[in-house]
Amino acid sequence: MLTQIRIMSRLELSNLFGWNVMRFSRDRRQKRKAAAMMLLWLLVVLYMAFYMGALSYGLVRLGCGSAVPAYLVVLSGLLIISFGLLKAGGLIFRREGYEILCSLPLARTAVVMGRLCRMYVEDLALTMVVMVPGLAVYAWLVRPGPGFYLTAVMTVWSVPLLPMAGAILIGGVIAGIASGMRRKGLVTAGLSVLMVVAVLVGTSRLSALEGNPDPEMLQRMAQSVTAVLGRVYPPAVWLGEALTEGSPLLGLCWAGMSLAVSAGVAAGVCVCFDGICRRLNRDSARHDYRMGRLKTDSMMLALCKREFRRYFSSGIYVTNTIIGPVLGCVFSGVLLAGGKDVLGKMLPTVLKAELLIPFVMAMLFSMMIPTSVSISMEGKHWWILKSLPLSAKQILDGKLGMSLSLVLPFYLASELMLWIALKPGPGELIWLLLIPAALTVFSCVFGIAVNLRFPVTEWDSEVSVVKQSMSALVGGMSGLVLAFVGIAGALLIPEAYAVLFRGGFCAALLLGAALLYGSNNRFDIWERI
Amino acid sequence: MLRIEHVTKHYKGSDKGITDLSLHIAPGDIYAFIGHNGAGKTTTLKCAAGIQGFDSGHIWIDGLDVRKESMECKRRMAYIPDNPDLYEYLTGIQYLNFIADIFQVEEKERESRIGKYGEAFEITASLGDLISTYSHGMKQKLALLSALVHQPRLWLLDEPFVGLDPKAAVILKEIMREVCRSGGAIFFSTHVLEVAEKLCNKVAIIRDGSLVACGGMDEIVGQGRSLESIFMEVVEHADADQDHEPAGAQ
Repeated sequence: MLTQIRIMSRLELSNLFGWNVMRFSRDRRQKRKAAAMMLLWLLVVLYMAFYMGALSYGLVRLGCGSAVPAYLVVLSGLLIISFGLLKAGGLIFRREGYEILCSLPLARTAVVMGRLCRMYVEDLALTMVVMVPGLAVYAWLVRPGPGFYLTAVMTVWSVPLLPMAGAILIGGVIAGIASGMRRKGLVTAGLSVLMVVAVLVGTSRLSALEGNPDPEMLQRMAQSVTAVLGRVYPPAVWLGEALTEGSPLLGLCWAGMSLAVSAGVAAGVCVCFDGICRRLNRDSARHDYRMGRLKTDSMMLALCKREFRRYFSSGIYVTNTIIGPVLGCVFSGVLLAGGKDVLGKMLPTVLKAELLIPFVMAMLFSMMIPTSVSISMEGKHWWILKSLPLSAKQILDGKLGMSLSLVLPFYLASELMLWIALKPGPGELIWLLLIPAALTVFSCVFGIAVNLRFPVTEWDSEVSVVKQSMSALVGGMSGLVLAFVGIAGALLIPEAYAVLFRGGFCAALLLGAALLYGSNNRFDIWERI
Repeated sequence: MLRIEHVTKHYKGSDKGITDLSLHIAPGDIYAFIGHNGAGKTTTLKCAAGIQGFDSGHIWIDGLDVRKESMECKRRMAYIPDNPDLYEYLTGIQYLNFIADIFQVEEKERESRIGKYGEAFEITASLGDLISTYSHGMKQKLALLSALVHQPRLWLLDEPFVGLDPKAAVILKEIMREVCRSGGAIFFSTHVLEVAEKLCNKVAIIRDGSLVACGGMDEIVGQGRSLESIFMEVVEHADADQDHEPAGAQ
């Protein structure tokens, strides 16, 4: 059994982050892309490491040093559970390769453990990026005893286990529920989005504390932070105590508990694996079609409809790309329900919320836009579009049309709620409408531009395209980065120039979108993809 | 109908591809394209279908340059690959309707063609099901049906008989003859030499990216010999004849 688990784990890990392709591909272009992808990941890792170090430094300097380890465990847990929820079902119960594996003399446990091993390695990497720089800065400033180092080394490997188990449990339940439904992808996406929103809303208490600490609380900061962390993720506080007290025994107890819980979840997955996979792969063919009237559509409408059908057929595609617009609606809904006062509680008093809201909305709507992986998602079907009498412009317009139509209802609903909640004047209303719209349009066009240059048409799992590809990363981050530029500008530029800045921001985005749109349409998709 | 002139296509980092390949498929031809695995059959078909670029040479469909007037060329032809990966998230009828929309086929025409050929291939009852539920043969039938919906003049087929049941294979052969009788042309690759010999009026043999023989079936296969023995002979002895013109080259 151990040999089988080792073989399956090696298989699952062989192409992690495109490593195997980079090693063995004879295509220089493909190698360059894989290398660029790894470089980009490295940059993200460095950025995160720097951020975690700075966070740790800030907390220690504020007098909350004792809360740092627990804080890092919570952050790592939140990241793992948020990302894990979206990928657990798709990764563990994925259809690709299932039938071939079934035909081999392999124990199901080995198949499951191989897939869990891949998920663990990914999550461990994320944990290391969060924990190592944070704990290093903490150790440098606080100078803890040798017990801290011993406990850290003995426990850090176990940090991802509990949140991973939680993500697998919820992801598995979602996959189990969806497996019995006809529209499996859509049900999976809906339930996953619901869970992620619940996690984010549930943990909003953490950010509320960061935004507006009162003077009294500052005095009791360490205890307060620990108390909040305890409410969000109680086991983090236990490990935090083990680390700050330098108690390897407590640490081992934590690691043992995490391992036991994970082993229980893994055993549960092994038991349910065949049933869920069979139900997910079960085809509900009826063989009862009778020819009737066929509806004709224009070429563009036909392309858009096909894009929508492709989109809603994939749970992981929907889940990862709809979350931004959904959060936009949730954010607007909170403002509608709580009124303007909610903003005061969410943001430090020095910040003018009205200035920021258009950019925050823009960020949410342009986050993980579907176009950034829409070409890669064609996968092995790409030949169909290439063989049809369609120009690059027509194909790409279909993808653009789908993305914009998808965001539109969320955008309209959010804007309506914000209009009612904030009662902006005509000038403010224009920016409230224009800034999110301009950034969304730009991100959609930019997403296509990135995906044209970094397509992945040969993949074994949608997860590798939607969550790990270069275009997903760059396309998904573009809206975030540009929104931050807008937020920085709104905060730093004097109010007298605010209109000029906002107008320039929108004009630059729309001009950039127009230029990129033209460039995309001239792209040689037949030769280069 | 299809003229391929001195086309060369090589893949970077690979020794596969085609070299200086020339072929002429005339209206009414059923042209078989045979060769071992990796010889360059699929590459040739993809280049002709305009879904893959080539390094040098020219390809014309009805006198139109595939590279310069690719849209017009694609309107006149249908390409079906050896493993038709169709949109698995669509139902069969949705896929056919999508193809008909792209080719702007009239409502009545698409209904009658889908009805007629769907019955012939015995696939009508499954058209309401998702393509992901189809077997390889059913996908092959659906891909053929999608070509029949817009009635192209030129058919480029990569291993069209693989996965088809015997009845569907017979129907496909009849459809191929019907296409040629009405002035169309079919250029297809196959490993089934008996089918090529009985069905086709022309044949080309490719080896390591170069044509080693091409021309009328009667010219290539004569004096009571089979295409199989000719194929083996030509492929085995191609090295010795490398400096000579391909037999029957046009």
